[in-house]
Amino acid sequence: MSAITPTSTSTGLPARVWNGTGVVRLRREGAIAPIGAFVVFFVVYVIINPELLTRFQLQTAANLVVPLALVALGQLIIVLVGGIDISIGAIMSLCNVVFAVQLETMPVPVAVLLAIGTGLACGLFNGFLVAYGGLPAIAVTLASAFIFGSLAREVLDRPGGGITTEIYLATSGELLPFVPVSLVWLAVVAVLLWLLLQRTALGRHIYGVGSNMESVRAAGLNARLTKLLAFGLAGVITSLGAMMLAASTVTGDPRSGDPYLLSSIAAVALAGAAFTGGRGSIIGTILAACTLGLIGNLLFFAGVNSYWQYVISALIIVAVVGIPVVWRKAAFFAKGARS
Amino acid sequence: MPLLAFPETESFVTDPIRPAEPLLVATDLVKSYGPVKAVQGVTFHCNPGEVLALVGENGAGKSTVAKMLAGAVTPTSGSITVAGEPLASGSVKQSRLSGVRCAFQELALVPDWTVAENLSLPDGAPLRGFSQKKSVVKAKALLESFHLPHIDPRAAVGTLSLADRQLVEIVRALAGAPKLLILDEASSALTPPGVSWLFARIRDLTAAGGSVIYVSHRLGEIAEIADRGTVLRDGLVAGEFVRGGWTDDELISMMAGREAERFFPSPPARTTDAVALSVTNLRAEGLAGIDLTLGAGEILGIGGLQGHGQAELLRALFGAAPAVADSWTVGSRRVSRTNPVRSVRNGLGYVPEDRKTEGLALEMSVGENLLAPWYRAYQLGGRPRLSRERGWIDGVLGALSVRTRGPNELAGSLSGGNQQKLVFGRWMNRSRSVILLHDPTRGIDVRAKQELYGAIVDLAKQGVGILWFSTEVEELVHVCHRVVVLYQGQVADELIDHRLTADNIVGAAVGATGSMAAQNASPGSASVQNASPGSTSAQNASVQKASLKTERAAG
Repeated sequence: MSAITPTSTSTGLPARVWNGTGVVRLRREGAIAPIGAFVVFFVVYVIINPELLTRFQLQTAANLVVPLALVALGQLIIVLVGGIDISIGAIMSLCNVVFAVQLETMPVPVAVLLAIGTGLACGLFNGFLVAYGGLPAIAVTLASAFIFGSLAREVLDRPGGGITTEIYLATSGELLPFVPVSLVWLAVVAVLLWLLLQRTALGRHIYGVGSNMESVRAAGLNARLTKLLAFGLAGVITSLGAMMLAASTVTGDPRSGDPYLLSSIAAVALAGAAFTGGRGSIIGTILAACTLGLIGNLLFFAGVNSYWQYVISALIIVAVVGIPVVWRKAAFFAKGARS
Repeated sequence: MPLLAFPETESFVTDPIRPAEPLLVATDLVKSYGPVKAVQGVTFHCNPGEVLALVGENGAGKSTVAKMLAGAVTPTSGSITVAGEPLASGSVKQSRLSGVRCAFQELALVPDWTVAENLSLPDGAPLRGFSQKKSVVKAKALLESFHLPHIDPRAAVGTLSLADRQLVEIVRALAGAPKLLILDEASSALTPPGVSWLFARIRDLTAAGGSVIYVSHRLGEIAEIADRGTVLRDGLVAGEFVRGGWTDDELISMMAGREAERFFPSPPARTTDAVALSVTNLRAEGLAGIDLTLGAGEILGIGGLQGHGQAELLRALFGAAPAVADSWTVGSRRVSRTNPVRSVRNGLGYVPEDRKTEGLALEMSVGENLLAPWYRAYQLGGRPRLSRERGWIDGVLGALSVRTRGPNELAGSLSGGNQQKLVFGRWMNRSRSVILLHDPTRGIDVRAKQELYGAIVDLAKQGVGILWFSTEVEELVHVCHRVVVLYQGQVADELIDHRLTADNIVGAAVGATGSMAAQNASPGSASVQNASPGSTSAQNASVQKASLKTERAAG
C-alpha cells in the first residue's frame, strides 16, 4: 500500500526533517521576518548607542516596550481568531485607572484581580457580541471603545491614583540583578501564553477558528465558544499591559491606553500575522513590539528629528511585511519562467 | 417516481438476509433554503454491513443529504434514525457521538493545523492539555495502521497535495470506527491506487458490521463497491438499484431524467463562417490546455460536471483569471494577455456565475446596473445619464420583458429571474462579438428561462458568438449548435448533430466508457496526474474550490 503516492515519499524526505524542528512552524506563522528585523534593528541600535546595554538604559527601554508588547499580544489573540480589536486602547485605559484607583483603598492583590477582572469583562463583552451576536468585530470594538473610554474617565478623570514606589520597584525597577524586572514579567506572560496557545486544545482551536471557521464547525467543535474565550483572554492580557504601564509611570491615567491602539495593530502587522486569522506568533509579536517601541529612542540617539519616527516605523512595517510578498511573487514568476 | 426497472420489491428478493432493523432510516427529508428546495422529500435506508451509493447530477441534493446525516445541516422536515435512535440533527458533535462520521467533499480540515492536530483535536474538551509530541505519535500510529506511512503527521495540512488531504480526511472519519461512514465525493481527488486503498478500508469497515454511504459521480467506483444505490434528481428519489442490476446507460438516463421535454427554441441557421473567438492550448489554473473555436452567430455549449474547468474557462477567456494560450484571437484581434477592461473593449461580454455578488450592484438602480460596463469615470452618471440612455434601457427592458417599475427601481428588489435578465441585458445591442454565459438559467423560473433562450437565440441571429456553460443538459442539447464537454480541465468530447444527446453529455461528463477513447483512459489519465504532483495539485485545488463553491450554491 506504499504505492499510493510514490512521488511524495521522495520529495517528502527533506520536508520531513524540517517539520521536526520549530523553524517550520515559525515560518508558517510569519515570525521569521520580524525576528530578522529585530536582530538587524538591535545591532544598529547598539552600534549607534552602545549605552543601551547599561543598567539604566536597558531598564528604561524595557519599561517603554513591555506594556506595548503585552497589548500587542492581546491584539494578536483577537487577530488569530480573525477579528480586530479597536477597543484595546480603551480597555487598557480602563484597567489602568481601575488598578490605580483601587490601590488607594484596597490591598495590592485585590487591585490586581479587579484590574484583570475588568479586562476579562471588557473582552467577554466584545466577544459575546462578536461570537454569539454575529456582529463584525471592527464595529463592535469601535463602539465599545467609546464605552470603555468613557468608563475610564468616569473612574478617574485626571491622572492620579495610589500607585506606590514599591509597586514600581516590583514591576519596573531594579528588583533583580542585571535583568530589568519588567522583562521577566513579560517573559512569564509570554511563556504561559505560548503554553496555552501551543499546548492546549483551546489554543489550537483559536488558531483553527481563524484559519477556517467552517472546517472547525464541521469537525464538531464549538467555534463560537472558542471565539468568546479568545476575546476574554485578550482582555486579560491587555489588563496586564495596563498594570505594567500604570506601575512604570507611577500614575493612573484615563488616556494612557489611547496611543497603544494603533501601535498594537502595527506590531501585529509587523509580526507577519494574517489579519484574516489563523496565523501569527508570540515571539514575532513581542520582537515586533520591541522594534516599534524603540524606534523613537534610536532616532533620538541618532540625532534625527523625532517627527521622522513615524515615517521610519512605516518604512520598517512596509519593508518587513512586503519582503515576503515580493519574495513569493518572484518565486512564482521564476517557477513560471522555468516551466 | 419509479422510472426504470428497479422496483423496490426486487431488492427484497435479491437481498433475502435483510435484517429487520436497518441501521439508518431517513424519512421524507426536506431541506429548503428560502424559496429554493434543495431536497424535497428523500426517503431511504441503509442496512448494517452495507454500502449504499447516493448518485445524481449536480444540484440533485446528494451533498445536502450527506450533510444532514452528518449533522452539519438541519433538515427543514423529516426524520433520521440511526440504529432505532433518532439522530440529533444540526450538531456534528452529536452525530459523531452517535457513531456517524463524514468525510466531507469540501475538505473539513483546518489548513493551518498539522495533520496530527487535525486528526486529534476534534475529540475532547477545549480546556484539555494538548501535546504536540503525543498527538504526533498517535497520528503516526493511526496513519500507519491505515497503511499511509508517507503522510507526515507534523506537516501542515495546507502544504499537502489535495489527494493526501483527502486521505487525511478519510482517516479522520475512519478513526473512530464509525457505525455509519458517509463519504461525500471522498474519492474525487484520489488516484486509482488511492481509490483501491479506500475500497479496502470500506470492506474492512463493512466486514465489521459498519455501513457506508458512498456519494460519488464515478460510475465505475459505484459498480465496484456499492451493494445498493439510490438515485437522486432535483431533490427527489428518482429510482433505486442493486448491485449488478444496472448498466451505465440506465443509470445515466435515470440521473439525467426523461421528463416531458420543455419548449426550447432551435438554434438559428448560421449565415457566416466567420470566427468570433479562437484559442489554442489555453492554460490557466484548473485548465490543462483547451482548444476552442467559436464562430460568429454560433451557440457553443459547455458541458460537464461542475468543477471540471468550466468556470475557469469563462473567467480565463474574459481575463478575470490569469491565463496564457499559444494563440488567442477575438474577432480578428490577437490577444496575448487580457483583463476584463480590455476584454470589454475587444467586444466580449460576460454573465458571471453569481448574479447577486458578481453580476449586480444590488443597492443601485436597474438602469445603472444595465449601464455598469459602459460608465467611464469622466462621464455623467445618475439620473441625467439614465434619461440620456433611456431609449436603449427601455429597449433592453422591453426585449427581455423585465418586470420592473422602471429604471430607477433598485436592482435588489427584483426577482432572481429579472435580475439575471439585467446581467444579460447589459450586453445587448452594444456591438458585442462574443458573449460568455455562466449558467444564466440557474435558479430562475420557466418563463424567465424561455425569455432568456429567446434573447440568446436573437443575439446569435445578429452574429454574436455565444459561449454558454450550462448545468442543465437539456438546454445544451436543444439550444446549442455544438457542445464541448470538459473533464478535469480538458476537452473530453465534442458533440454535434446526431451525437448531441443528453446521454452523451452526461456520459462524457462523468468519464463513462463508450463516449470517447479519451474517457476509456480515465484511470490512465489520473495516473499521469500522479506523475507531476506539483502542477496538478494546484489544479486540483482550484477545481476543488470551484466545485465547493458551486455545490454550495446548488445546495
